[in-house]
Parts: sequence; structure tokens; C-alpha cells
Amino acid sequence: TLRLVCTTTAVQRKNVGASGPEKYTEAFIKKQIEEFNLGKRHLANMMGEDPETFTQEDIDRAIAYLFPSGLFDKQARPMMKHPTEVFPEQRKIQWGEDGRPFHFLFYTGKQSYYSLMHETYEKLLNVQKHQDQLIAQDLPLQKEKRNLAGSRWLTKIELEEMLLEKLSDDEYSRFIQLLQKLAALPCADIEETYIQKFSKEVPVQLQKVVIEPLQYDERGVAFSTGEGKRKTASATAVVYDNGTGKITVNGIDILHYFPVLQDREQLLFPFQFLGRIGKHDMVCTVSGGGRSAQAGAIRLASAKALRSFVTEKEVEFMRQAGLLTVDPRVKERKKPGQEGPRRKFTWKKR
Amino acid sequence: MAAPSAAGLCRRLRAWLPRIMPVRWSRYNPSYLEPEVKKESYQKPLEELTEEEREQMDLKAVRPIKAAPPTLSSSVFSDPMISKFTNMMMKSGNKVLARSLMSQTLEAIKRKQVEKYHKAPENEKETIECNPYVIFHQALKNCQPIIGLSNITRGGKTYQVPVPLTDNRKRFLAMKWLITECREKKHRRTMMPEKLSQELLLAFNNEGPIIKKKHVLHKMAEANRAYAHFRWW
Repeated sequence: TLRLVCTTTAVQRKNVGASGPEKYTEAFIKKQIEEFNLGKRHLANMMGEDPETFTQEDIDRAIAYLFPSGLFDKQARPMMKHPTEVFPEQRKIQWGEDGRPFHFLFYTGKQSYYSLMHETYEKLLNVQKHQDQLIAQDLPLQKEKRNLAGSRWLTKIELEEMLLEKLSDDEYSRFIQLLQKLAALPCADIEETYIQKFSKEVPVQLQKVVIEPLQYDERGVAFSTGEGKRKTASATAVVYDNGTGKITVNGIDILHYFPVLQDREQLLFPFQFLGRIGKHDMVCTVSGGGRSAQAGAIRLASAKALRSFVTEKEVEFMRQAGLLTVDPRVKERKKPGQEGPRRKFTWKKR
Repeated sequence: MAAPSAAGLCRRLRAWLPRIMPVRWSRYNPSYLEPEVKKESYQKPLEELTEEEREQMDLKAVRPIKAAPPTLSSSVFSDPMISKFTNMMMKSGNKVLARSLMSQTLEAIKRKQVEKYHKAPENEKETIECNPYVIFHQALKNCQPIIGLSNITRGGKTYQVPVPLTDNRKRFLAMKWLITECREKKHRRTMMPEKLSQELLLAFNNEGPIIKKKHVLHKMAEANRAYAHFRWW
């Protein structure tokens, strides 16, 4: 082996960052797991509990008890977790002893991503060939519509975890477009198993909120309560059955409390949508915010209260009309170096 | 693979020009869908829906929905076009004033039409339209230009090139012309509702300065037909 006789400090200085994050060998991880299990049993012994049924939550509680820490950041406090959670999942060394890489796409830098794209395109060509065969034989193409509404594609983070490689937004969108193209073909049922690897079930019933049952007060009249927020205003509404359509806000009638027509329209919106204008009475309390925010808060509170009076289908209709969603829009903060959230200072030439 | 790459290229180009992109974001997750407020769309039985509507319904059952804005309501009196016009008339966020001006305008239109109705002979009574909402919509439709002009610079000179307009742009131009016309070309003492109702009635009958402006624009576009090939989109 040759050795450089005259060198510069630049050559001698080892580039620490170039080798990437620290690589953990399999033996090291195994040892960590053994130590963790042993430590778990010791901890259980110390706390006087059964080592066999010592769960992660018990470990967390024990560590918090034995090593109390006043630090703010939860990640900075002492913790004891399974090594697979502590050490990130890494790839094994991708080249053999002679330095030759195993995968043919190694030198692209993102071998799993490009091999995935090649595989998916191969499946696409397969499906197209099958389609051409069916057309040549004059057979009808299978037209079972795949239920797109019930599933979603993997997110970028999930795909990164699957491939163990960093992806850019652009590459991710290209992959999703290819998958969509594959799924949209009529004979895509052949590659159904492959497509299912990259799709996830979305819970069909988005409104898995528990609707409270009606309560009855002393006179026997059914009523229900609801709470709503909008910007800084928060409101509570109590909707009574067998009413005449009177609405009271903070003890004041709505005609006096909301002189503007738009606010009164918003208050009546849920009732008008369900067709129950003259049938319910409402008593609400509201605080904070401005006039429009208070109206929006009461609208949300009354819609939530009306859920108990109405069938499930109508609740779904209310949700699709946007009556049951909390409005997340709030005032944008002012930024330093600007006059307002968006407005910049007047530009002066000198 | 040409089809996906073309769309991807445009998006990539757009993402690459950071200074030119405006910062427009919303507090909602992009998966949130727009709310549907009209009661009739929920009362249709399942059989009458087309394929697309069924798919839309399935999608809506799964995705979250945005909250309805305060200007939108299921009552018969809320009209998206009227709300848009009110917002354009509004100055410094004074929605109360803008809304009252709008309602006074509609009242003025109704009064004028009812007066005309009572004065007209029997055979013409059916042709007079009294519904102010119908008059408003028809007048706006009459004011919308079909083709617009845009400035394109080629070889140092700027040409006015005829260009097709989207629906939104047409509506916006019609409303903008109406409002600027009523703000500038009126006597100091006339009230806005009065002037607006006058202009709307004229536009409803295809007369008046705004219709003239629209025709002038069309004539300019027809005159500059030769430069139409300068457009690349």
C-alpha cells in the first residue's frame, strides 16, 4: 500500500459529516435490547411490582418517580424506552466486501425510490398489455369502480418510513400521480394487491362524535345544551322543545342584542336548515369576541345542541352544510419588520 | 409518461419562483371540502343522482367539511351573487353600510318597477319584471363581456391582445364596472342606491353606459384580431 509522504492539513482532516449519521451494527442493537429487558425487570423489582406484567406506561411512571426532573422539554427528561424507538431504523450496508454495491440503482442515491418507480411502471405496462389482449379477443373490460372515497394514499412521511430514504415533495407527487394513473385503468384489478400496499383505509364515518341524549327539566320539557367557539367568543346554548321560537341572549332578546340582520340570520340558520323555526326556544350565554364572532359561536352551539333532537341522517346533512365545524380562522399575528400581518412599511427611496 | 410529467413540470416551475408566488394559505387542511348550504340538494332521492353526484356524495361522507362563512345561509334571501356584490361595494370593512345600501337599492328597483306596472296598460303588464333579484341577475349577465384584452409586450412594443375570459373574471368585471360607474358618474347629492337602481334597470334593458363600455371593449377586441396569435396560453 502506498502512503502519502507530503500531505496538507486539508487532506488529513477527516470529513466527519460525509459518512452520514452514526451507523449502528445489528449486534449493538441486540445488546441494547437485552440490556433494556434486564433493566425492565430490575426496575419492576425495585418498584415492588411483577416483572412479567410491567408495561411501558409503568416504566415511564417509575422513571418519573425515581428521577424527578423540572425541565420543560419532555425530550430532555430522563427516559427509558425500547431501543427500536430510540435508535432510528437504518439500512444495512449496501455493498459487499469488494466495495461493489448490491443494488443496480445504488449510484442514483435513492435506490429504493427509483426501483419503486420502475416496479410501478412495470405493473402499468403489464395492465396495459392485459387490456390490449382483452380488446384483441373482443372481451368486455372489467369496469368495477374502485371505491376511491374510502381510501387514501400513503403520506410522504409514511412513504419515507417505508423506503428508509428522504424524499422531496416533487418526487412524492410524481409517485402518487403514477399510482393514480395505474388505479384509474379499467383492468387495474390484476394489480390490486400491489396498489393496496400504498393505500390506507379512511374511517368512513367521519362524525364518530357521541350525540348526547335529551335531558328533561322539572316541567317535563326536553332540552339539550351545546357549546361553540368562534375567534375569541365562546357561547353556550340551551335549546328547549315545545317552544314558540323565542331566542334570548345573555337575558336580552335577539332583536335588541343583535341589531344587524346578518347576525340574526346566522342564529336562525340551523333552525331554518332543519325546518324547525317555530318549534324550539333557545336561551344562550355568550362572552368575548365581536358581534359577528358571537353570532358564529351561538350558531355552532345551537347546531351542536340540535343534534340530540334530530335523526342521524340530518346530523350528517348539517355537517355537510358546514354547521358543525369549528371555524379555525383567527386573527393573523403581526410580524416584526412589517406594519401588520401582511402590510409592509411604506417603501421610501431614501 | 408524458402526461404526468407536463403537469409536474408546471408545478415545479411555479414552486421554483419563490419571489413571484404570493403567500396565500388557509387555516384549513387542503383535504377540507366546501359546504353545501341549499336545502334542496339534500332532499333529492338517491335514484335521481348522476354518477358524478354519487361520487361527490361518497367523497363528502369521508372528508371533513369547512365551516359555513357568516355571509352564507340557507334562507331564501341569501344569494351568493348579491353577497359578492355587497363585498365589492364595501369600504374599510363597513359591511353594515354596504348591506343597507344593497337592500335600499333592491327596494328602489322594486318601487320603480311596481310604479311602472301600475301605470302600464293591460297587455304590457305581463312583460314588466318586478322581482329585483331577477333584474339584478339579468342586468349583470347583460354587462358581462365575452372577450377581454390583455397587454403583451413583444419586441419592445406593448400590444392589446384579445383573450378569452373565465366566468369569474367576467362576473368580476361586470360588477366592478357597475360600481365604479355609480361612484364616479353621479351628482354629489344623489344617493348610491338611487343611482345603482337606475343603472341596473338600464342594464336590464341593454341600454346605459356600462353596456356601451362592454360594446366598446368588444369592438377593440375585434379591431385587434390580428394580434390574437400573440397569446401563448
